[in-house]
Amino acid sequence: MVELDPDRFLNELGKLFDTRKALGPVRITMKRSNMKPRKSRFPQTDAEYKCLIRATAGNKKISTAVSASQHKRFQSSYDTILKAQLDALKKREKTKSKSGKK
Amino acid sequence: MFIEEWDAFYQQAEALFLADPLKTRLVLKYAHSKAKLTLKVTDDRTVLQYRTDQLSDLRKVEQLNNRFFHLTANGAEAADEEMPQAEPATTQSPSRAQPSSSQKSKKARRTKG
Repeated sequence: MVELDPDRFLNELGKLFDTRKALGPVRITMKRSNMKPRKSRFPQTDAEYKCLIRATAGNKKISTAVSASQHKRFQSSYDTILKAQLDALKKREKTKSKSGKK
Repeated sequence: MFIEEWDAFYQQAEALFLADPLKTRLVLKYAHSKAKLTLKVTDDRTVLQYRTDQLSDLRKVEQLNNRFFHLTANGAEAADEEMPQAEPATTQSPSRAQPSSSQKSKKARRTKG
């Protein structure tokens, strides 16, 4: 597991998608964490929450932790990457709306 | 458990997350060769899944991502519960929702053409 800072992570994520295109699925997991050891997991109002993000593809794994102050910026970049990479999905089923010509 | 309806999935996913924010995770799985996108939300007891191959669903996925980012960053109190003490990181709290949503729709409109 390689833990990267959010910008590096996004960078690597794009590459990960590229390299895995023909090979198999990419999984991205998002999870909230208070960055505390598991044992002391009780409600703490002063805890700093972060969003842990991990991407796995085959045996390559990368991860990052995004804090509340970073998350807006990260989110928009992340959306952009998804939009760019998830391009195998079907454009809408044009059944009746004869929009075939361009 | 696969849920066909997006709205039902979204609501149940959010409810699951709010019930236990520290244990619930969101997994996005994308297989380019099969052109399939699967979303999974689980707290290790309940599993909710949504599957699609439509590009137009990407906007919904973004919406859920944004919701999760928002909740993970700001906590459950941003949704409906109130915590006694405000977190220090919430500097721009009042106008959080609007800019991002308008931005999103603008972006969506742009990609349409």
